[in-house]
Amino acid sequence: MAIRELKVCLLGDTGVGKSSIVCRFVQDHFDHNISPTIGASFMTKTVPCGNELHKFLIWDTAGQERFHSLAPMYYRGSAAAVIVYDITKQDSFHTLKKWVKELKEHGPENIVVAIAGNKCDLSDTREVAMKDAKEYAESIGAIVVETSAKNAINIEELFQDISRRIPPLIPHQNGSNGAMKLGRQSLQPTSRCC
Amino acid sequence: MYREYISAFTNFMVMKGFEKSAKQSSSYWKGNKKLLLQLIEEQSETPVHMILQRAFIEPFRNHVQEYSLLLSRLNETLSMDATLTDSITAYGRLQTFISQALDEASQTKTLWSSVSSKLVVALCTPDRRLQEDSKNIPVTVTPGRYDRVLVFNDLLVFLQGNEPHICDLQTVWVDTTVKQKSELNNFVLRIVTPEEELFLSTKEQPHQVLWCWKVNQLIQQRLEGTRDFPLWGKTGESNDPPNSRLSKYTYRNEGRFKNAVYEGDMSWGKPHGKGTLKWPNGRNHVGDFKFGQEDGFGICLIPDSSGDRYDCYKCHWRNGAIHGYGICEYADESVYKGYFKDNMRHGFGILENQTSTTTSWKYTGTWDRDKRTGYGVWESSDNSERYIGMWQENQRHGLGIVLLNTGSCYQGVFNASKLVGSGILITEDNNLYEGEFTEACLLSGKGKLTFANGFTLEGTFNKTAHSGLQTHGVLSTGCSFQDEILKKKFQFGAGSFPVEERWQGIFEQFQKFLESGCKREAEESFLGFHVKSSKKMQKSQEYLYCQRDNEKDLGQTEDIMKELSLELKSLQSYVEKAFNTSHHPLKKVIKLLLVVFQATYSGLGANFHLLSMAQEEIKYYAKKLWEFFRALLALKTEKSSGPLSGENDEDEMSEDLNPYTVILPAMLPRFHPDLFMLYMLYRQQEDALYWQGIVRLGHLTDTKLLEFLDVQKQLWPLKDVKLTPTQALPLTKNPANPNKAQPTPYPRRKRYSIVRHKCFQSATECLQKIISTVDPKEKLEIILKTYQEIEKTVSRVVSKDYKLPMDDLLPLLIYVVSRAGIQHLGAEIHFIQDLMDPSNRGGINDFLLTALESCYEHIQKDEVRLFK
Repeated sequence: MAIRELKVCLLGDTGVGKSSIVCRFVQDHFDHNISPTIGASFMTKTVPCGNELHKFLIWDTAGQERFHSLAPMYYRGSAAAVIVYDITKQDSFHTLKKWVKELKEHGPENIVVAIAGNKCDLSDTREVAMKDAKEYAESIGAIVVETSAKNAINIEELFQDISRRIPPLIPHQNGSNGAMKLGRQSLQPTSRCC
Repeated sequence: MYREYISAFTNFMVMKGFEKSAKQSSSYWKGNKKLLLQLIEEQSETPVHMILQRAFIEPFRNHVQEYSLLLSRLNETLSMDATLTDSITAYGRLQTFISQALDEASQTKTLWSSVSSKLVVALCTPDRRLQEDSKNIPVTVTPGRYDRVLVFNDLLVFLQGNEPHICDLQTVWVDTTVKQKSELNNFVLRIVTPEEELFLSTKEQPHQVLWCWKVNQLIQQRLEGTRDFPLWGKTGESNDPPNSRLSKYTYRNEGRFKNAVYEGDMSWGKPHGKGTLKWPNGRNHVGDFKFGQEDGFGICLIPDSSGDRYDCYKCHWRNGAIHGYGICEYADESVYKGYFKDNMRHGFGILENQTSTTTSWKYTGTWDRDKRTGYGVWESSDNSERYIGMWQENQRHGLGIVLLNTGSCYQGVFNASKLVGSGILITEDNNLYEGEFTEACLLSGKGKLTFANGFTLEGTFNKTAHSGLQTHGVLSTGCSFQDEILKKKFQFGAGSFPVEERWQGIFEQFQKFLESGCKREAEESFLGFHVKSSKKMQKSQEYLYCQRDNEKDLGQTEDIMKELSLELKSLQSYVEKAFNTSHHPLKKVIKLLLVVFQATYSGLGANFHLLSMAQEEIKYYAKKLWEFFRALLALKTEKSSGPLSGENDEDEMSEDLNPYTVILPAMLPRFHPDLFMLYMLYRQQEDALYWQGIVRLGHLTDTKLLEFLDVQKQLWPLKDVKLTPTQALPLTKNPANPNKAQPTPYPRRKRYSIVRHKCFQSATECLQKIISTVDPKEKLEIILKTYQEIEKTVSRVVSKDYKLPMDDLLPLLIYVVSRAGIQHLGAEIHFIQDLMDPSNRGGINDFLLTALESCYEHIQKDEVRLFK
């Protein structure tokens, strides 16, 4: 079975639980090949999808406002972006919208955007309505789920959705959407910005 | 002693000496005839010369006869005594020798009396003896000009009437294998000489065999310089002379070799082996020959028109022409090192003129039929410019880049060495002009000027050598930031010179070498000389006699090959060894590559506008070397059919063995200085900004810096600072949300605050090692280790495994980067990005590198640099 490496980048404010989601996703299942990780900042997990194996290479980003401008380095070449907000914080939903906008403008073409409303276990203190998130997601054609990293709700589903959205591999066109086949590609001189 | 006497005697006899002396003093002889007759104990009437002749020889013959009789009698009485028997046989031999020598001499004498005086003058020398005559054993010669064949001990002579055609037996070969089909009962011998081929045919087979045998034996004796006695000694024993012999021959017929003297190994009439060929005009070739032509290595001196200076070729030859690698020192003191074809410079080569005082220049590039054609680099020191680009018939033609020593450079299209159409000019202060030029590269016509600050000026330009620049145009100040960056970093040659075609000449030769089966003897002609021998070669012709191959070393290389397994480590170490072994094919290629790389990118070429060309080239070299390496490997495998089976290669190779892992580590150290210079120049501005940031942060104490970077206090590794063995750090409940954490009062905070460069010291020191290596892979490993050190420190601080999310990791990493204070970090990062194994993309190494890059970018920011 062919393995496709998919770079997934995590965006969102600090404290919304970006890395908790990934830790949950990666740890819940026993991975045969224990891949090296960088703490909770870089993790990998391989899941089957159709007749392919998708190896998620999950890149965390720093959520602090001051590092915002460094984000393009992280999301360049990504096949998918998971943007996380905290359902108990309206602010984090605002930040999410900013991210979406930025991705549309500067992100890779055809990037799969998934919105995760984290901490759905704390719905008592909810500030962002599910409905709002859904409407917004539909308007931009993004995946949307409410998750709880704490209780392992919808984490698996989130990544399955992403897997399904990844366009099937068309030979010779795999470079553009960031999905990489195992193999060699010539590294194009990256145009530097910021 | 006897023999000497006999040969002197027979020489005298052949020359009719006795007759002459008899005549000269006939009266004296007549008077003493009786005495003479007594001397030979003979009564009858004999001519005086006969008497004399006998007087000189018979006493000796008799002596010898008596001795041998005496000896045989002794032998009978004394039974078998070894020394005695030996003496008997020796005397026996002496007897036969004497009689044969006399026979020979009288035969020859008869010949001289029977042939015309002209022939005698031409052929007669005292020690020449007739050995066979076609009158005795009839043979006919075809082509049939000749009516008689004579064989002497040193010559083969064909007579046409009284005209002799003389061949030295040294350069005569006899071939018995020819058959003339048309005539039956015709037995043919092929006689081969350097410039002729003759056939001797006889009607009877014994005659053919006899001629063949005699001539061959004579050749043999002639070559050895001895005369065997008994003359027609041991039959049955192979007496065929060697096909290949050391001989000397002067060419007479029209042709390339006319009047040239060849001295050396010959085979079947042709120079074959080592030899020297000297022409009367001073041309002199020393080297290997094959089938009559210069073939193999040879040194050739060719005088120039004036005749007192020489072009000296130290080259490989094929079929009489220079072909393959060679070095030529021309009479005008320029030197060419490179490939030839049909006596002309063809393929890759370097021509330089360094010695002359007026102008020195160097061309490194492609040649076609003695002319610069194709991609090449020209550098002249007088007006200090370098041209990188296309050539045709010795002129700049096509796309080219010119680098001037002022720092400015331009790219344009040339036609017959003149600039045509539009091009791009970049001045030393980074103003960029795109547009039309005059032939002499002055701005002229429509164009667009982009200033270093991003302003653009579009319009018509006019500049002459005397007046300043005149322009009409629109000045625009609204250039986007992005565009400016792009312009500033404008890369020459991107896409214009396909990297595959740049140094084809070098790779082609290796390819051919591979195709030819990597024979060692072919190596030099394809890949150039061994370093060691080229030093020796300066001593010119002695070179031929030097031992050129260091067999021992070669043996070692092959041993390494045998031990080679398909593991990364062993392949790497092999490549490393190969690159350090002076005669290894790969080493030769990489040496050449280094030469061309430096010719292009060092010195004047250290211009960051060439970076993309340079890095493209490096990667291509690695790719090609990898291909060659694999081909070599496959070849060795085929030969030894050892543990490496060919089929598996493909699959196993593709995993983690590729040019980036196998070739680059060994290759890069050689190219690193020049290549990295380009990266440093390219990144100069960013690195300067970054350095400002580093300096600024360097003023901060550890705690101040940690605070400034918003590192969560729970992660502060103040335990490392020896002040606080008892200090318990207050833990915030919510690690993911440091902003909300209450600043906890710090009892001894003041004392920490003076500490500098103590926290995360292990990680900092680890990261600093990045400059001590050139292999991108090793650099990445160092970054990974740095991260691990950070994690270790943090885990110790919080006393449990702590998985750092990016929110925490990035500030810590910035802390470490700022403390490590690596100069040219931007160049380092860019270098790794370009040259790391592309399969890393998206992976852990890529992530870490990106994290490092983001630290670098962050430190450049105003908020860091201008922080107070």
